[in-house]
Amino acid sequence: MNDMNCTVCHELIHGYLDNELDTAMATQVAEHLAACADCQRLHDEARMLIAGVKAHAPYYPAPDALTQGVMSKTKSRAPSARRFWDLLRDAPQQWLMPAFSAAALAIALALYVATPSSEQPWMDEAVSSHVRSLMADHLNDIASSDRHTVKPWFTGKLDFSPPVFDYSVQGFPLLGGRLDYLQHQNAAALSYGRAKHIINLFILPTSAADKPREHLAIRGYNIVAWQRDHMRFIVVSDLEKSELEAFSQLVEKGPI
Amino acid sequence: MKRFEELFAPHMNAAYNLARWLTGNDSAAHDVVQESAYRALKFIDSFVDGNAKAWFLTIVRNESYNWLKVSAGNRWVAIGDEIPADDLALGHGQTPELHAMHAEDAALVQQALQALAPVFREVIVLKELEGMPYKDIARVVDIPLGTVMSRLARARTMLKLELLKLHSHE
Repeated sequence: MNDMNCTVCHELIHGYLDNELDTAMATQVAEHLAACADCQRLHDEARMLIAGVKAHAPYYPAPDALTQGVMSKTKSRAPSARRFWDLLRDAPQQWLMPAFSAAALAIALALYVATPSSEQPWMDEAVSSHVRSLMADHLNDIASSDRHTVKPWFTGKLDFSPPVFDYSVQGFPLLGGRLDYLQHQNAAALSYGRAKHIINLFILPTSAADKPREHLAIRGYNIVAWQRDHMRFIVVSDLEKSELEAFSQLVEKGPI
Repeated sequence: MKRFEELFAPHMNAAYNLARWLTGNDSAAHDVVQESAYRALKFIDSFVDGNAKAWFLTIVRNESYNWLKVSAGNRWVAIGDEIPADDLALGHGQTPELHAMHAEDAALVQQALQALAPVFREVIVLKELEGMPYKDIARVVDIPLGTVMSRLARARTMLKLELLKLHSHE
């Protein structure tokens, strides 16, 4: 018998069950449990609860696509050029073969996964970027509703000149712009408001031919994408499809 | 980034599981893990040595709480640990006995755990589902080592009450 009181024991039971107590303390708890029916009951319940949670609580493993996406993206997003060259320098023997098989696998997977639309990665990334812009409080590098402030801001930051217009009159005020990246290319991201909703418009050059507007929904977001005059446009928002279509028509037509 | 992959690829499941439990939905967990990986890569130089899992999960936890704050429009007040002491006393007195079957029902366990405040839910996930030792849990949830046991004690007591409550509603 020892002089441990029950209140203290109630907490120590957990360290005891988790094997986190030192030997002396564990001995004291064991002695108290042997002498105190109440604490022994709580101990048994806690043990049962732990076993139940371990056995029955769902475990959510990362989806394969997420793991592959993260790993391939981080590879191309090496933080500095130096690191990249370091990698290349000590690469050849142990690196190229795995890299080659990884690339082969990636291509096979891409062919398999992306057969319905080769545009999918663009759209996925645009949605992620849209979400990130709202989450990380990083919607705009330049916050202004004046296109004559926003447009010149991109000069020197991009090797193309994105069309920037304000559509306040039509109910889509320009909020600002920021630099973004889609599929490892610089993109202009313009943000527009519509009531409480935010619209991100991504613009970047493409060599592909013109393509009419196309609607998509990914992870609950609506997307409209098209290509025109060697520019790729991707619009992402949680706005309703019809409203997003109206906005996209405005952008594609240009200002009246 | 070979080093990045070596360090963090083994912990993607743990990262997703924690984010999924904290945010309560798949698409948020997806975004949280993506953003966390990006941050981990950005700050990889500040990771010297030691426990990559705890380091990565610390970032995932922070990102999950950021998401919670944004999604709740900053009205999330229950993040802090401010459960009155007598709430806890309830768990010890004359409660009906917890029968094995309460904790055997996966749907009930899931629902009960999801009902706990994030600060209690996360220690259960880290301990029971990830099997992390107290010292790593202390790092991830950013509390002193000495308080991990009491946090877990409260979390488990509340989980038990939640299970009893759900069961009696059936």
